[in-house]
Amino acid sequence: MPSTKCMRNIDLRLCSAVLFLAAFRMWAQPAEPAPPSVLPAGYVGSEVCAACHETIATPFEKTPHHAVETDKRKGFVGRACESCHGPGEKHIASADAKDIRNPGKLGAVAADKLCLTCHLNQATQVGRLESSHMKDQVSCLSCHKVHENGGHNLVTRQAPAINEQCAGCHANEWAQFQKPNHHKLPEGAMSCVDCHNPHGSIRPASMQSFGANEPGCIKCHGDKRGPFTFEHPVMRMEGCAACHEPHGSANPRMLTRQDVRFVCLECHANMPAGSTATAHPALGVVPPAFHDLTSPRFQNCTICHQKIHGSYIDRNLLR
Amino acid sequence: MRVRHGFFPKFVALKFVALSLAAFIMPLLAQSPAPAGAAPSAPPATPTTSAPASTGAAASTSAAAGNDATASTNAASPVPNENWLTGYIDLGYRWQTGVGGSLATYRSIVNLGSGPKLLGADFTITDPKGRLFDQIMVRAYGWGDEPYQTLNVRVSKKKWYEFNADYRDMAYFDYLPSYADPQLSTRGIALNEQSFDTRRILGSFTLELLPGNWIVPYVAYDRDSGSGSGETTFVSDANEFPVPNTMSDRTSLFRGGVRIARKSLHVTLEEGGTTFGSHQSIYQTPGTNPGNLTTPFAGQTMDLTSLLAAYGVSGSSTYSKGLFIANVAPWLDLYGQFLFSQPKTNVTYQQADTGNLVLESQLLFYTGQSYLVSAAALAPHTTANAGAEIRPFRRVRIIETWMTDHMHENGSANSNDGLSNLGTSAQIQALLASSLATNYSQTETDIFFDPTSKLVLHGGYRYVWGDANDAILPTAELVGAEQGKLRRNVGLGGITFRPTSKLSLTGEAEVASSGGAYFQNSLYNYQKVRAKARYQATKSLSIFADFTLLDNQNPLSGANYKYQSQQESLSLLWMPKAAKNWSFQGSYSRSTMNSDVGYLDPEYLIPLLSIYRDDAHTATALFSWNLPHYAKMAPKLTAGGSIFISSGSRATSYYRPFAKLFLPVRKNMTWFTEWTYYDYGEVLYLYEGFRTQLVTTGLRITR
Repeated sequence: MPSTKCMRNIDLRLCSAVLFLAAFRMWAQPAEPAPPSVLPAGYVGSEVCAACHETIATPFEKTPHHAVETDKRKGFVGRACESCHGPGEKHIASADAKDIRNPGKLGAVAADKLCLTCHLNQATQVGRLESSHMKDQVSCLSCHKVHENGGHNLVTRQAPAINEQCAGCHANEWAQFQKPNHHKLPEGAMSCVDCHNPHGSIRPASMQSFGANEPGCIKCHGDKRGPFTFEHPVMRMEGCAACHEPHGSANPRMLTRQDVRFVCLECHANMPAGSTATAHPALGVVPPAFHDLTSPRFQNCTICHQKIHGSYIDRNLLR
Repeated sequence: MRVRHGFFPKFVALKFVALSLAAFIMPLLAQSPAPAGAAPSAPPATPTTSAPASTGAAASTSAAAGNDATASTNAASPVPNENWLTGYIDLGYRWQTGVGGSLATYRSIVNLGSGPKLLGADFTITDPKGRLFDQIMVRAYGWGDEPYQTLNVRVSKKKWYEFNADYRDMAYFDYLPSYADPQLSTRGIALNEQSFDTRRILGSFTLELLPGNWIVPYVAYDRDSGSGSGETTFVSDANEFPVPNTMSDRTSLFRGGVRIARKSLHVTLEEGGTTFGSHQSIYQTPGTNPGNLTTPFAGQTMDLTSLLAAYGVSGSSTYSKGLFIANVAPWLDLYGQFLFSQPKTNVTYQQADTGNLVLESQLLFYTGQSYLVSAAALAPHTTANAGAEIRPFRRVRIIETWMTDHMHENGSANSNDGLSNLGTSAQIQALLASSLATNYSQTETDIFFDPTSKLVLHGGYRYVWGDANDAILPTAELVGAEQGKLRRNVGLGGITFRPTSKLSLTGEAEVASSGGAYFQNSLYNYQKVRAKARYQATKSLSIFADFTLLDNQNPLSGANYKYQSQQESLSLLWMPKAAKNWSFQGSYSRSTMNSDVGYLDPEYLIPLLSIYRDDAHTATALFSWNLPHYAKMAPKLTAGGSIFISSGSRATSYYRPFAKLFLPVRKNMTWFTEWTYYDYGEVLYLYEGFRTQLVTTGLRITR
C-alpha cells in the first residue's frame, strides 16, 4: 500500500500538471469571443437556419465544425451555417433551395476552396497538394460529412465503414481483396487508411510512413525494418511491392508470381545485363547461380535464402 | 473441429469479453423498463443506409465477416434524448462444421474457429457536463479466440485533449503445403519448410493536448511485437535441414511534437525514436536429420545430429520531422518537409552444431562447428520535399513539386568459425563490410485548367532520376559490387468532366520513357491509364465503373520484359423506394495480367522464358430484404458474398457466400444468425483445397 507521503507526492504532481495544462491552455487559446451584435449584410445567423433545419442543426452542435459558431478567429461567430452556405437572407425570403449555395453540389475545386477557407495551412493541405485525390478532383466532401456522420464526427473511424467508403471509388482495388491471400480488410481487422493516407503523403501511392520516412509496412512488419548488415537492395529501392501484391493475390503470401522461383528469376535472370545494349545495367542479374531448377530442392529459393528480406549475418541471405 | 491458436492469451480475451459485457449490461439492467407500446428499435443491420456514399460492394464482405459497418454506425448515432450510453454489443457463439480438405490451408487463409465470441461492440459514453471527458467511444471486434481482435478507445474533452488508443491482436498462421515444394512426390521430409504460427500485437496510443488551439502539443507511443514458432531451415554447405524455430521481436516507437497554426503559416515539428529487439532460436534435439539432399556428397552422407543457434538483435533510432505550409499571397502557397531518421542495429549470433557436414570451398569435412558472428548496421536516411501551388489566373493552377530521398547504409560483420573433426580443428575468421547507397529525386510540374465549371483539364511532366550502389567487401561468391542508374521522363494528362450532378467522368494517363532502371522488371517504358465513371441513372439506381491499364516494357538487358495488366469493374447500388423494402449492391471485376521475361537457366545457361498469366473474375453481392413486421418489430435478411475464379498460372477458385437474419425479440435486443460457407480450390494443387461452413448465432443489445 502506498504511503501517505507517496500519495501526497502523486497528488502534487497531478495538480501541478493540471495547473500547467490549464495555464498553457489559457495562453494558447484566444479570449472568448463576444457575439457580434450586428450581422453583416445578407446574413441571417445560425439560429434562423436552425428554425427550419433542426435535424441538421442539432447534430451539428456536436461536431468539431460547431467551433466556427463561437471561434472569433474563424470570422463567422453566430453564423456557422453561412460560413459554407453563404449569406442566407435571399433563401429565407424565398424558401427556395436555388437561392442558397449547396457545397455538396459544387465542383471539387470550388468545394475545396470553401473548406480551405479555414483549413488552409494545415498538415493535410501539404498532403493534399501531393495527392492523386486532389489531382482527380476528389473533394473533401467526398469523404467528410460536414454536419455530422452518424455520431462519428466528420469522418468515419470504423475499419469496415472506411473500407466501404474507399471501395465506393476504388472498386478495382477492393476486388483484389477478395482473392484468397489478402490483407485482412474484408474481415474488418484493417482499413485502407492503415496503409494509405487519404490526404496524400510524401511516399508513392499516398503510402503511410513509419518513423518519419520509412515505408508504412514497417508499422506492422517491424521485423523487416532492419537496417540489415546485408540488405536485399530491392527492398530499399522498389519496396515490398516488388515481390508482393499488397492488396491480395491468388499466390501464396501475396507473391506476384505463382512460385517463389519465378519471383526471383524476374531479377536474378543470369542475363549479361548491360553488355552492349545499355550503359545502365540492371541490378541483381549477374553473376549467375548454378542451381538445377529442375530439381525440387531448388524450386523454392527461400528454403535456403530464407532471410530474403535482409540478413544480419550472411551475405548470401542464407541465415 | 476446433481450431487452436497456439499460445493465445485466452485469459485476456475472456476478461475483456466479461468486462465489456458487464459494462454494457449493467446500465441496461439499471434502465427503467420500456413503456408499453413503445416504438420498436430500428433494424440493427441496414447496410444500405450508408450505401449512397458508395456504389461498391464492400459492404457485402464486411457483413459476411460479421462486422456490419453501417449497422454499427446507426447504432452509435446519438439519440435526441441524450442517453449517457449509446451503442450496441454483439455476443454470440460460432460453430464450425469441420474442415473438408486441407486444414493447414484453411488456417492459413481463414482461421476462424468455434466458441463463444464478442463479435462486435461499439458504444459511446457521453458526459453532458464534460467533467473529465465529453465523450468516450469504444469499438471492439472479434474477441474470443479470434484471429483478428481489435479494440479502439477514443476519449476527448473539447479544447482540452483527445486521446486515442488502438489495440490489435492478429494471428499469423501460414502453412500452405505447396509453398515450399510443388512436387510433393519427389520430396523428402517436410512439405513446407518456411511456416509460421505466430501472433502480432500492435498498440498505438496518441494524446493530443488543446485541440483547436493555435498551438497543439502531442505525444504518442506505438508498440509492435510478434512471437511464435515455426519451421525453417538450417543451411549448411551442400545440404539444408528443416528444423523448428522460435522467434520474437518488438518495436517501440516514441514520438512527440507540436503543431503551430497561424493565419498564414502552419508548422509541425516532431521528434521521435524507436527501440527494437529481435530473438530467434533454431534448434534440433539430438537425432539424425538427413536434410534435403537425398544423394551422397563426395561420397559422404551429409546429416545434422544436433543444433542450437540463436540470434540476438537490438536496435534503436531517432528521427526528426519538420513540415511547413505558408499562404504567402492569395495566389501562392508554399510548403516543404524535412525528414531524417537514423536506425541502427547490433547483432550477435551464436551457433553450435554437430553432424557430418562440409565446407565446400575447401572440401573440408567436419563433425562439429562453433560459429560466432557480431555485426552492426547504420542507415541514415534523409528525405525532403518542397513545392508551391500557384494560381496566376482564376481558372489555372500550377503545382510545382520537388522531392529527394537519400539512404546510405553501412554494415559490418565479424565472424569466427571453428570447425572440428576427429580431434583436429580449424579456425576461420572473416570480416565483411557492406554498403548500400540509394539516391532518388523527382521533380514534377502539373497544370490544372478549368475551362468551365464542369470540366477540369490536367497536364504535367515528371522527371525522375537516381543512382544506387551496392557492395560487399571483400567481393566473393554470389554478391559483389553493383551500380545502377535511374532516369525517367513521364508525361501526365487527365480530365474530369461533370456535365450534370448525375454523371461524373474522370480519366488520367501517364506515359513514360526511361534511360535507365534499377531492375529489369522495374517500370521502364510504360503507359498507365485510369478511368472512372459514376452515373446516377435514377433516384434509386447508381452505377460506377472503374478501369485501369498498365503496359510496361523493358527491351534492354536481353530480358525483353513485357508486362501488361488490365482491370475493369462495374458496380451498382439499387435502392427502390429508398430501400424501404429491399436493396441490392453488387460488383463485378475482371482482371488480366500477362508477363513475359527471359532468363538463362541457372545451371545450363539455356535461354528460357518465364511466363505468368492470370485471368480473374471477381463478383460481390449484398441483398438486403426488410421482412414483414411482426409485433411492431422489423426483421431483416441479408445475403450475398463474394466469388473469385481465376485461370492461368495459378488457377484458383474461392467462394464465400453468406446469409444473415436479424430478428428483434424485444426493444433493444435482436437475435441474429449468420451462415457462411468457404470453398477454396486450386487446379494444380488439389490437395490444398478446403471447404467449411460457419454458423454464428447471438444477440445484439442496443441502447
